[in-house]
Amino acid sequence: MSTTQSALDLAEPTPVRWRQYAVTVGRILLALLLLAGWKVGADVAGPLYAADPVKVARRIIEDTASGTLLRHIYVTLRLATIGFAIGCGFGVVLPFLLRRLPRLTAAVEPYIMASVGVPKYALVPLFILWFGIDDAPKLWLVGLLVFYPVFIAVFAGIRNVDRRLINMARVVGASEAAISREVVWNSLLPFFFASLRIALPRAISAAIIAEFLVGNEGLGFLIENSRQNFDTTGVFAGVVVSTAVVLVINGVLVRLDRYFNAWRPVDRDMDI
Amino acid sequence: MPDRKPVESSDPAELRPEARPGARLEARPELRPDLPQAPRRARFDRALVFVALVAIWIGLATVLGTYWVGSPWGVALRLGSGVWGDLWQALAFVLGPTWSDSAVGGMTRPVNLGLQGQLQGQILVHASYTLFEAVAGFLLGAIPAATLPFLLRRLPIATAVIDPFMVGGYGAPKLALAPLFILWFGIGIASKIALVAITVFFIVYFSALAGVRALDARLVQMAQVAGASERSVARHIVFPGAVPYIFTGLRIAMPYSIGGAVIAELISANRGLGYLIQLGAMNFDTTGVFVALVATTCIVFLGNWSVDTLERWLLRWRPPADTKAEVGS
Amino acid sequence: MTAAAEPLLEVRDLGKRFAGRAGRDAPAWVIQGLSFSVNEGEFLTIIGPSGSGKTTLLNMIAQIDVASSGMVRFQSQPAPIGDPKALNPGLTCKIGYVTQEDNLLPWRTTLQNVLFPLKVQGRLNDETRAHAETLIKAVGLAGFEKHYPHELSGGMRKRASLIRTLVYDPPVILMDEPFGPLDAQTRVQLQEDLLRLWNLGRKTIIFVTHDIGEAIALGDRTLVLSRAPARVAGEHVITIPRPRDIRGIMGHPDFGTLYQSIRAQVQ
Repeated sequence: MSTTQSALDLAEPTPVRWRQYAVTVGRILLALLLLAGWKVGADVAGPLYAADPVKVARRIIEDTASGTLLRHIYVTLRLATIGFAIGCGFGVVLPFLLRRLPRLTAAVEPYIMASVGVPKYALVPLFILWFGIDDAPKLWLVGLLVFYPVFIAVFAGIRNVDRRLINMARVVGASEAAISREVVWNSLLPFFFASLRIALPRAISAAIIAEFLVGNEGLGFLIENSRQNFDTTGVFAGVVVSTAVVLVINGVLVRLDRYFNAWRPVDRDMDI
Repeated sequence: MPDRKPVESSDPAELRPEARPGARLEARPELRPDLPQAPRRARFDRALVFVALVAIWIGLATVLGTYWVGSPWGVALRLGSGVWGDLWQALAFVLGPTWSDSAVGGMTRPVNLGLQGQLQGQILVHASYTLFEAVAGFLLGAIPAATLPFLLRRLPIATAVIDPFMVGGYGAPKLALAPLFILWFGIGIASKIALVAITVFFIVYFSALAGVRALDARLVQMAQVAGASERSVARHIVFPGAVPYIFTGLRIAMPYSIGGAVIAELISANRGLGYLIQLGAMNFDTTGVFVALVATTCIVFLGNWSVDTLERWLLRWRPPADTKAEVGS
Repeated sequence: MTAAAEPLLEVRDLGKRFAGRAGRDAPAWVIQGLSFSVNEGEFLTIIGPSGSGKTTLLNMIAQIDVASSGMVRFQSQPAPIGDPKALNPGLTCKIGYVTQEDNLLPWRTTLQNVLFPLKVQGRLNDETRAHAETLIKAVGLAGFEKHYPHELSGGMRKRASLIRTLVYDPPVILMDEPFGPLDAQTRVQLQEDLLRLWNLGRKTIIFVTHDIGEAIALGDRTLVLSRAPARVAGEHVITIPRPRDIRGIMGHPDFGTLYQSIRAQVQ
């Protein structure tokens, strides 16, 4: 907790319980307000521009019941998972290989860092041209978008490993493999998790965007196809489901991060 | 402070120090391995890698053919002639007949140079659309996002109330909302600007919020003891302290803004670099796709460079080690 | 131990030079012309002003740093000079090293940290595990086996790092100001623990400190290092008989003289 916050508390001596209550009520009110705003907005804008929340909910329930929505979710998640596994695998293994080759690392590092700047989404048409319209171009996109944050985090994590711990492990007789596994890997786990928390939601969002551009299944296809058919309710339903999927996965990642990094002294708050 | 709990549970991953390894690297120089210093050899190695990369590119273009991989000279020629075509037109527009009827102007007219069709130009025109969308969206999203935490600084309850919604907005796949924005704002530039703005907004909001929170309470108390008004505390202490945080957000948001504009253009547009990429792909004009990609990458680098330069200028007061550029984002 | 026998560890004319920064500064010698030897079973204390290269010396003996010139011989085997790639850190578990920082693995519990050397050496079995648990009890860490390092006090972390070295029973142990940052009470406690454990196994210990009293209280012999570039400025055999009473050692008649003559050499 930041010191500023406690300074603010001193400045405003409101009873804590009362404030908790106010926050909860405020959140519920704001949520209702947003829903009401959506409803009114939909009524004013007309069905072509905004779908009524009730209709969207009904559509989601209907499509779930018929199984089509689950099929789309499955397709998107499958794509995201495979692409994630590929990107994440390369992102973790490559820095460990480079660790043994300092000269090569120094030579290729500036090019890898420069390639971070290439807008990956813009490569999709090229991937389609090269790899056809099946899963391959989408996997390339998801894989690349996952690869970069993971690679950068692991790469920097390896560099950041405390030399003193490595020396200690060498002195007590640990092999290079044991050092990689025990000292290096554990040291960079927080970095790795931070990158996963960026990469996993990004993988899903990349899968959806790739489906906008190519293919005939998945959440992205659902949204874009509905838009092209002026089915605004379909667009909204797709967007709501996509957002929900990403947010749920975000929440799971937060829990996992806590669990695996329990050894860390302070539970981090969001201060940078 | 119970009303803060949810914030802790959901801190935006990208804004955490572990996600910005460069910052860690600078912060803990004593942990950097003392790699053998051989700058000359490293420079030679890097040059070697560059030559190898170009050789691979040429090799691929030769072996696979330009249908699959645009050749370096093909891309360079198209890019150069395209840019020249735009410049020629711009000069003709500004100078009028003095340029187009002059000896040099006549000689260098794209048609007279033997450039036809796709070689004649439009790269800069399309690039300027993309750039405009990115910049306009960036400003439209970043300015309110950077301001909001300052307005809410004295209202902890309001901050806590909107927090889960902000976290949700941050986590939501905004680029995946592109079709929605196209539905609302049409296929013109308005939909791209809106998409970029909303993407940038949440990133910058959280970095500015972190900046306001990380503020040193002692400085504020000192100023209050010295009789500073609330306004001057905000202006002279809170704002300068938060600037580095805001820039962290801006630097992360910059590639997203250009990426967002390009993605929306890829999906549906009639101008811009994303449109150019899509057009090239539809015509199986690989060289055209390469050219548009190179132009897009240039814009990303330009954007990153601008943010870095602006930050360096605004943060002149910081000790040099802090302002070093970070890897990633 | 007879004088004619080959010393266990021999340091001859040792030199260590650090490169200047980016060619601007001239390379600086931290250690130059340093010679001494250590016999088996001896408790040698080394004392010197801060920045006199004491840690660097231990690093070179433990072979996690490479010497620039001279010779270091352990059991008649010379260490590589000038070639960091040829180093054999810890000399295949023959030299244990208790560093200045505890260097516990922050993601492992106390017990896991203590067992770490056994695990990586593939020697973890019921017998060694029981030995580890005895050590944990001996230094008063019982009940804290499942705690992470950040949940332990400074003194407890020191103890854990000490027994992490003792657990795999290396014949030689290097100790680099292991009790430096602790409060006086904990310090004396740990010094007593150390002497008791040493009495049990009679290992060879090289103990670096900047505290003259500690050097006298613990050692059989004390070396005094000069300011950088470090060399031996003086050598003192500590005649105070063992077992020693650490708390009362200042009252021993020899203590005052030793203290004064060492202090005169530590500038």
